[in-house]
Amino acid sequence: MNARRLENRVAVVTGAGQGVGEGIARRLAQEGATVVVAARRAETGEPVVESIRSAGGQAVCIVTDVSVSESVDACVADTVQQFGRLDIMVHNAFMGGIPHKLEKAQIDKHWTPMSRTGVWASLFCARAAMPHLIASSACPKGEGGGRLILITSPSGVEGSANIPLYSPAKAAQRAIAKSLAREWGEFGITVNCIGPVAGSPALLTAFDRNPALQQAIEARTPLGRVGDITDDIGSVALFLASDDSSFVTGQTIICDGGSFLGL
Amino acid sequence: MSVKVSGKGALAQVLRDGVHSDTRSAVIVVDLDGENSITSLAKLTDPHIDEIYEQPMQRVITALQEAHSTNCERIVVVVPTTGMSGGACYAPQAALAESARILVKSAARQWGASGITVNAVAVEPHWFSIDTSISGAVAIAPRSLADDVSPVGIVTWLCSEAARDITGQTIVCDGGLWM
Repeated sequence: MNARRLENRVAVVTGAGQGVGEGIARRLAQEGATVVVAARRAETGEPVVESIRSAGGQAVCIVTDVSVSESVDACVADTVQQFGRLDIMVHNAFMGGIPHKLEKAQIDKHWTPMSRTGVWASLFCARAAMPHLIASSACPKGEGGGRLILITSPSGVEGSANIPLYSPAKAAQRAIAKSLAREWGEFGITVNCIGPVAGSPALLTAFDRNPALQQAIEARTPLGRVGDITDDIGSVALFLASDDSSFVTGQTIICDGGSFLGL
Repeated sequence: MSVKVSGKGALAQVLRDGVHSDTRSAVIVVDLDGENSITSLAKLTDPHIDEIYEQPMQRVITALQEAHSTNCERIVVVVPTTGMSGGACYAPQAALAESARILVKSAARQWGASGITVNAVAVEPHWFSIDTSISGAVAIAPRSLADDVSPVGIVTWLCSEAARDITGQTIVCDGGLWM
């Protein structure tokens, strides 16, 4: 039985139409949060909303393009207009990279989509949410607490041989989290990152095409599997969103079954 | 053999004057000027992000590609420790520094088979005019060494034949502040 640790809190989760974002949205809703499923397309966001509602949770979909600052601003404004507050901003949306050789990489094709959705969008989400997270943190203990959570990757720590420009986009998010943790500490807002390896649709599709990839990942992972988007990754997001983590800020939790042990 | 040093500012000039190598080498100093770009997040505009993060990061990517295309064997990227520590009112600058530092690892992984080494040197924030009274302390303990430190020696070594087995690393050259 869930403890409903996020009762009366409002959360925005970007990229919640599938994968890790969907898992985080579900887990936060299970604990009582009203969740805004911020998805680029209603076709992916609305089914997640219906699923959350069917399970007894509260959710709405707001179509959002995180690479456009006005779209992020509108999402936050709409959220506050509908629900009166915003306590938790989770930026997960990311336009994943395609394998490339660094020496031949093209800025427009291989870098810009990841920079816009990873780095720029992290700043957009933080900037738009900031006044509302400050207001949330001003609430009495147990009734609020501003939280910004950025979804990064183990590759943002150790680099990537296959998608070299993916890593710097993800690394930037950790630096932004540390910087804002310092900048927003006086307001009581916490800012943290999660670096997941999880069974997203993209990864599961890759496993179907290449079973050896799944075997290789599982073999190098002490826990012997990839994470579940809701129970494994969503639960870490829940911890960072809840009062349980009120003294944790500027950190990255690598949630990958122990595959990366370099921190 | 000459070492090509790209980047602006006093640090780039110090390295240009002081680094020599027995290999074909490139040194890339990240184009980060903290003095003119202190911006709290609330005041950060989209043009700021482009100026402070995006354009300098694209120049790092391009400089790495140029180093590869000119057959450099040793590549060193110089960043402030601010990317590792974070900095209040320096979020986009910290993002730039950390993006560049981790791109070094990706490059090292891809180009290692060709014998190319790619490393990073992280230096004190003041080299990039970052004000630590604003950004916050880099570490919880005071700096270990009392004297001024120069990155010329470590960059010279990373550009040398002697460093052929070192790649994908970050050497912190700050007198023992960040540990």
